[in-house]
Order: sequence, then C-alpha cells, then structure tokens
Amino acid sequence: MLEAKNITKTFQSEGVETPALRDVNLSLGKGEFVGIVGRSGSGKTTFLNVLSTLLAPNSGQILYQGEDVTGFSAQRLNELRNRDFAVVFQFHYLLPYLTARENVLLPFMNGLGTVGREEIARAEQCLERVGLAGKGGKLPGHLSGGEQQRVAIARALVKKSTVLFADEPTGNLDKATGESVMDLLAGLKRDGLAIVMVTHDEDYARGADRVVRMADGVVVG
Amino acid sequence: MNILTIPLRTMRKKWVKTLLLLLVFTLSVVSIVSLNYVSRVVGESLEKKLTAYGANILVMPRSEKLTVSYGGFSMGDMLMGVTDLRESEVEEKIQSIGYRDRISVVAPKLVAMTRVGGAAVGVVGVRFEREKVLKGYWAVDGAFPVAENEILAGAKAAEKLGLWAGGTVDLGGRIALVSGVLQPTGSDDDSVLFVGMDFAQAAFGQADHVSFVEVSALCAGCPIDEIVAQIAEKLPDVEIQALQSIVKQRMYSVHFVEHLILTVSLVILFIACCMVGATMLSSVNERIKEIGLLRSLGFSRGGIFGIFCFEAVLIGMAAGVIGYFGGYALSLKVLALLDMAGEAELALHPVHLALTCLLIVGVSVLAAFFPSWKAASIEPSTALISL
Repeated sequence: MLEAKNITKTFQSEGVETPALRDVNLSLGKGEFVGIVGRSGSGKTTFLNVLSTLLAPNSGQILYQGEDVTGFSAQRLNELRNRDFAVVFQFHYLLPYLTARENVLLPFMNGLGTVGREEIARAEQCLERVGLAGKGGKLPGHLSGGEQQRVAIARALVKKSTVLFADEPTGNLDKATGESVMDLLAGLKRDGLAIVMVTHDEDYARGADRVVRMADGVVVG
Repeated sequence: MNILTIPLRTMRKKWVKTLLLLLVFTLSVVSIVSLNYVSRVVGESLEKKLTAYGANILVMPRSEKLTVSYGGFSMGDMLMGVTDLRESEVEEKIQSIGYRDRISVVAPKLVAMTRVGGAAVGVVGVRFEREKVLKGYWAVDGAFPVAENEILAGAKAAEKLGLWAGGTVDLGGRIALVSGVLQPTGSDDDSVLFVGMDFAQAAFGQADHVSFVEVSALCAGCPIDEIVAQIAEKLPDVEIQALQSIVKQRMYSVHFVEHLILTVSLVILFIACCMVGATMLSSVNERIKEIGLLRSLGFSRGGIFGIFCFEAVLIGMAAGVIGYFGGYALSLKVLALLDMAGEAELALHPVHLALTCLLIVGVSVLAAFFPSWKAASIEPSTALISL
C-alpha cells in the first residue's frame, strides 16, 4: 500500500550538507504495523516525515497505492494528508482554545463548509474509541498528558485514514500511560489501520509486526 | 464550526492582545475621521469667510467687441449684439443649478452714467444686503444704506461731487439721501455711487435689468468649472467667467488645510498599519507549531493565509465601525471647543460608515498581508523542526 524506494534526504545549513537519509527503502502493507527504531540522529523522524509527505526527499519515490506522491501538486498533497494520512506527534499539539471534540474535528475544519452532525457524531465515536467518552467538551488544559495524546490519536482517526504515522507517541508519557497508548495502537491495527511508528524504546517497538532499525540515515536491520 | 472558528477562538483566547490591537486601530480611525470632519467644517468656514473678499464668478451679457477706426478717426471699442440680462431670470436660473447649495452670494449690478451738479459720475445699482456679504472689507463713514432712496458714495466720487454722509443728491430727477461715504478701497468702488437696485432700475428706466452679476461660490466641495458649466447650461445666451486667480487664492487656503489633514491621517494610518503588521508577525512566530499542525492535517496555504487575514478583517471592521462613530462624536466635541459647532453641518452617513469600514478593512488586510503570507509559506517540515 505504501512503499519508499531509494529515499535520500540531505539538509543544508550554512553551506554545509548533512545527509539525513541514504537510499532508504521500506514497504508497508494494509493493516501492517511497522516500528522504526534507532538512536537520536539516526534519521528515523526524518524518514517518517518523508513517508508522511511533510518533507520532500531529494531523490527516491514514495508510492502510495501505486502512485508516486513525490510528484503530487500542493493541492493533492493537502488532500492526501487530510484524507488518507494521519500523523501523531510526540507532543500532542492540540489547539488550546478548542475543546477535545473540536480538536478531533480539526481535519473537517479546513474550509468554509460547516462541520455537520455526522462529523460531530464521528468525533464522539473516535473519542469513545480512545477511551475519552464524555470528555469531548473539555479543553486540553483540563486533560492529563495521556488523555491529550489520546485526543491527538482520535484526531488522527476521525477521517478514517488508511495510514497512521506516529512519531514517538509514548515519548512524553509515563510507562503506564505509554502502554495504554500502545494498546490503543494495537487495537487500531487490528481494525485494519496501517501504522508506522518511530520510537527509541525497544519495548514499545516489540508491539509492532515488524521492526526496522536505522543508524546514520540508513536501514541497518 | 469551520476554518473561521480558529481565528475567532484565537482572538477570544488572546483577548488582551486582540483588544490592544483593536484599541490602536480604533484610535487611529477616530483620529482620522474626526480630523477629516473637522477639516471639512474648518475648510468650509474658511471659504465662507474668504467670500467677503470678492466674487469668483462673473455673469455678463454676451456681446461682440469691435475697435472701430476710419480715416484716422478712432471711435474706440464698440459693443455689438449685447444680450439682455434680466435680474429675475438670472437669479432664478442660478438658484436652480445642481450645485446651488455651493452658491454663497448672487450680487447683481446695474451700471449707469448720470450727471450730478454738472459732473458726470458712474452709478451702480446693487442689492446692499448681498454687497455687504461680498465686500466685507468695506468701511463706511456714516451708515450703510437701508431705505430704498439711500445711497453710498465712493471716496473719490464723494470728494468730486462734494457729498457727505447725511447729505442729499439728485439722481435722474430723484432725490436720494447719502447715508454713508466709503473709505478709500483703492478700487473702482471709490469712483462711483452705489444705489439700491430698485431705485437704480426705476431712476434709469431699466426695470428688472442688470449689467452683470457677481457670484460667489464655495469651491471646497466641487470644482469651480463645474459650477460655471451648470450656470452656462441654465443661461446659454450669457457669458460666464470664472475668476480663476481668486478661486486659486481661496482654494489654496482651503486645500492647505485639507492636505495637512490628509498627511496627518496617512501618518496615523501608516503607524497603525505597522502596529498591526508587527503584532501579526509576532503572532505568526508564536503560532508556528499550530501552523505546522494545521498543514500536517491537510490545511492549504490559502487556508492558513485566510486564518490570519480573517483576524485582520475582523479587527479592521470593528475598528472601522467604532472608530467612525467615535470620530464623529469627537469631531462634534472639537468643533464645539473651537466654537464652530454652529457652522457644522455634520451628519452620520451610512455611505461614509461603509467607506470608512471598507478602507480600514483594506488597510488592515494590507498590514496583515506579509505576516499572513509568511504563515502560509511555512513548510510543514520547517514547522515540524520547531516542533
């Protein structure tokens, strides 16, 4: 369903080129859960950003359902990010002035069209799915760190995306809360969602179907 | 809920910043509106005062002037085909033009020659109450004529004919009372006798007839040429001349006030723009994470641009409405302080309100354009690095 072919990414800073990814390949099947592990600076987050189209590679292809998305127009990329791809970050990044429900509804709010009852019901279902039933009216500031991360996951689910990209989703949580988030991801995988998760924690990576190890911008195992 | 919910909630959440921004912009609008209203009233008042220094439009009979000489004998300038100028008709037509509210004074003149005690003298029939407005610089020894048979003698004419205030004079068989003698003006006024129009028309057998008409128009709100064109349209058979030098002198004073106010207004507007731009720019920098998140959720560049512009539009619109009413109220207060409230003909105009709002919204969007563009240009990856 999603395939990365020979991805290369180099960053430039003050005339100095720093290679971040070198000829990286990965394939992801429908409903597959892949964990990417590696030390800090290994290039795993850069790779996740390239896979999720948030960062353009210098060379290589990202094939989604057979189409190379690196050649997509800005509009098509926006549609892809809004409809098919969902991203969960280490820090939940909820908008503090919107309630949990409204944060979940954000992907529906990218135009002048008003969010309908159907979408609101869908947001409630997603909140229920992540164990936050009845907390939709609360502002993020009134939720715990784990609950805020669950709201971010609910936001990723609301558009029925096909691929979830998670960048250290447990990185900012305590062990117990982190495990509950991992249980939630495992449940989503069972529901058919393909997941790519970046983590530096080997224990959490074991929950994935397959683990890819990265070091110095290349896949090492 | 839609994309506009985001700027609305941001403004509510950051209400202190929103309020300060609104206050700055509103104060600017209040200053600009009040300055413009006050300048308009001051300009009109100034022009009305300047009217006392003479007319700026001349209405004359149409004629052909020929300089005739034959066999070494010159007959001087001769007028041919002089059209008749009827006072009632001219008066009625001038008062029926579109710009009639800009007409300050219509002063008809009937010029005739007569002999007083064997000496030839020019006699000018005038409407004294209008002449008084038009020639505010006149100083009279004695009294200004009130009754029909009272006259005003120019300084040189009085000296030549031996006239004095309180004396009498025989004009075409009618006895007139010299109510006053004009102090020297240095103009043609010194050499003639001014008599009431009705008296002159009766004395010289020229009922309803005038030689020419002086018109004083207020030009602050319209160009003099348009007034002249409108009069010419109503009076096609007479000659209308705009006394451009007088118009220019008057308008220089009025325009000076207008230009000064415009400059001050532009400076205020520029400062307000800078404030809005700087605040929006800092807002973009503060919200870079939010922008990155929204871009990762599939929000387009246009959407991000719209979020920031919409904030500016709302602030501009609110500042426009509050500022317009505030400026109007302030201008009334300032005019009262300047003791010019009586001269003010100010009214709240929905069109002015709409134009003010439109202008301020335009300016605020212009001020927010660069920050909004900057926000829209942020790549999700760049924002993610900051995440």
